[in-house]
Amino acid sequence: MQRRSTVAVTGTLLLALGLTACGGGDSSSGESTGDAAAADHSGETLTVWIMEGTNPDGDAFFDEVTTAFKEETGADLQIEFQPWASAHDKFTTSIAGNTTPDVAELGTTWTGEFADVGALSDLSDKIKDAGLEEDLVPGLVESGTLDGAQYGMPWYAGVRSVIYRKDLFEAAGIEVPTTWAELQTAAETLKAANPGLIPFPIAGDSQYGAMPFIWGAGGDLAVKDGDTWTSEINSPDSVKGLEFYTGLATEAGLSTAAATTWKETDLLSNFEQGNVGMMISGSWTPGKILTDVPDMADKIGAFPIPGETDGLSDSFLGGSHLGVFAASEKQDLAWEFVEMMTTGKFAEEWGNQSGYFPGQTSLLEKVIEENDPLVAPFAQQMVEAGASVPVTPLYGQIQGKKTVETMLQSILSGSATVQEAADTAAADMNETFGS
Amino acid sequence: MADLHSVPGASADQLTRRAPAPAPSSTPRRRSGMRGLLGHKSPLRPWLLLAPALAVLGVLLLWPLVRVVMISLQDYGLRQIASGESNYIGFDNYAAIFGDSFLWTVVLPNTIGFAVACVVLTVVLGTAVALFLNNLGTFWRTICSTAIMVAWAVPAITGTYVWIWIFDPLNGLVSSVLDSVGLIDPATTNWFTERLSFYAIATLNVVHHGFPFVAITVLAGLLTIPKELHEAAMMDGASPWRRFWAITAPILRPVFAVVTILSTIWDFKVFTQIYLMPGGNGGNKEVFNLGVWSYIQSFAQGKYGMGSAIAVLLTLILLGITVVYMRTLFKEEEL
Repeated sequence: MQRRSTVAVTGTLLLALGLTACGGGDSSSGESTGDAAAADHSGETLTVWIMEGTNPDGDAFFDEVTTAFKEETGADLQIEFQPWASAHDKFTTSIAGNTTPDVAELGTTWTGEFADVGALSDLSDKIKDAGLEEDLVPGLVESGTLDGAQYGMPWYAGVRSVIYRKDLFEAAGIEVPTTWAELQTAAETLKAANPGLIPFPIAGDSQYGAMPFIWGAGGDLAVKDGDTWTSEINSPDSVKGLEFYTGLATEAGLSTAAATTWKETDLLSNFEQGNVGMMISGSWTPGKILTDVPDMADKIGAFPIPGETDGLSDSFLGGSHLGVFAASEKQDLAWEFVEMMTTGKFAEEWGNQSGYFPGQTSLLEKVIEENDPLVAPFAQQMVEAGASVPVTPLYGQIQGKKTVETMLQSILSGSATVQEAADTAAADMNETFGS
Repeated sequence: MADLHSVPGASADQLTRRAPAPAPSSTPRRRSGMRGLLGHKSPLRPWLLLAPALAVLGVLLLWPLVRVVMISLQDYGLRQIASGESNYIGFDNYAAIFGDSFLWTVVLPNTIGFAVACVVLTVVLGTAVALFLNNLGTFWRTICSTAIMVAWAVPAITGTYVWIWIFDPLNGLVSSVLDSVGLIDPATTNWFTERLSFYAIATLNVVHHGFPFVAITVLAGLLTIPKELHEAAMMDGASPWRRFWAITAPILRPVFAVVTILSTIWDFKVFTQIYLMPGGNGGNKEVFNLGVWSYIQSFAQGKYGMGSAIAVLLTLILLGITVVYMRTLFKEEEL
């Protein structure tokens, strides 16, 4: 990735010149920079939890951040990396034991949950004072907001689109599909040309793979009416989308039985082994594929998930917020760190290194302008067709019990029809929603 | 064997048989005044000596146990964790569990059927291997027992991934072999989606991981059986099968009791080996067992009260099985 290394080098140069993060961005952050210079926090230490593995070179990145933060505020940073798999438990325990960090990276679906129990600080005023209100990616603001107050500061975002084998498409003379019908034809042509290939695996343990087809057909997971949510996953539109998506496996035979229990990581490893023609995959995966299998550099491409007949199908906009814990005694210092990370140079650099998109709109536009063939389709998907799962802590419980995955697996294994499985899923969701 | 002594049936029997002698001598001492309380033969003295150990056990084992029971009687979520408040709702969680047909049609049959299969297979295989090892010379016995210990030493997570890989529908060893002889079509085969085949693979995994312990324990027992008994029986013309049931099995009864109970406890609460299998992490409700169900309720959904209630249920079932089993065992021995 030529682009990335260039940016990283530029970033280091900027740092060497003594430019600080807050000054580097094109947002109007002059006010807060003034505050930062005034307050001296030397001797203080800010504890920060960051998720492990998002940035392949997280250590080096945070060494740089620590130095810059010390220059800016005089305070030290203690960065602790947490693995995604156990982080939620660790947050819960720390909230119970009153041992929360000052600042932490929060998966977008967690922010509402922790805010709901009063563990996070309301950042609305600070965001307003910094003049950032209008410059944040709306999807991330939405998932970080509870009852009108913003608890999660958008940091980075990712979205899923289709990654495909450009070489196989070209060899078989297939154009990039722009409708669902074309998507199916493309997969069928791929299969005819490459009998050993799995043209379009439908992963049963990947909820986000199915969502674009539910949304693309005009359906929804759940809708809010007044204060209660009601599941819509068994509505005629949702079922139509699910029938198309799972039908690619069950009727058209474009997947494989093994994929019924595949997670996204299984999709990825099979793609890397060359078994797969195209797949629904995240904006952060092309970088990983190219690192793992450098030979694939000229062989892969990406396109946004097409709409049923035109336009694009919505895809889940996931990512991370930075949150400040309410129990922290260093609220101002914590905010300075949050602002430094989520705007300007460091936000841009983090995005480039990790393959995610910055949560600041002005930075995102910059990425789109660069027009990298493995980045632009995802950026287009994110800007034009990004969507959120129901913004309520209750949906976290539904994801916890894997309602959508259960539905997919029962359809793919043939133990239920699409309508039956969707009805079960809707009942399961409504039980949690209490509707 | 702390597990044996914690069972009321067992310890009561042993106490009545062995305790009478010291009891009378200590009773008069207690009446002789306050100074005697801590004296050499005071009944308090052993408790004082045990106090540090009991305190540690109380904090590390008893208190968490009590907490789980308390939480199981509450509607306990993240809000309660954050605020430290309690929210008692009586036996609602238990009512919800017992009223859920999911428990009776899926979770319990899975848990019990799987445990029974695993315990029987583990003990039978372990015993067979022990008999085999017993007939080897010292050198080969050492080699073979070291080899099987490796299976035991492998962590459950690693072992599970190895079995998943062996049965991987696309690239696995088993499907490659069956495919090459034309028995299956890998494109339409996925053993992890069917309840029975899912648990068959899990059973292989658990039995493979559990039999070395049984084998080594039974072998230790076998080595204590005097050779004369078998020689005498051979002189009488007893077949090996008859000798096993008439000599080996009765002498090793306590050993079998220990390995069976321990296996039962381990196989009932299997979690890792199920949760890590494809579809076992909640996506396929057909393959839930009590452990996975409890985990999904508590940690994936934040319904800690419900999860605790399931855990308490699992504990009670285990206690029940152990008590019944120990009672039958020791009654038979006394007769």
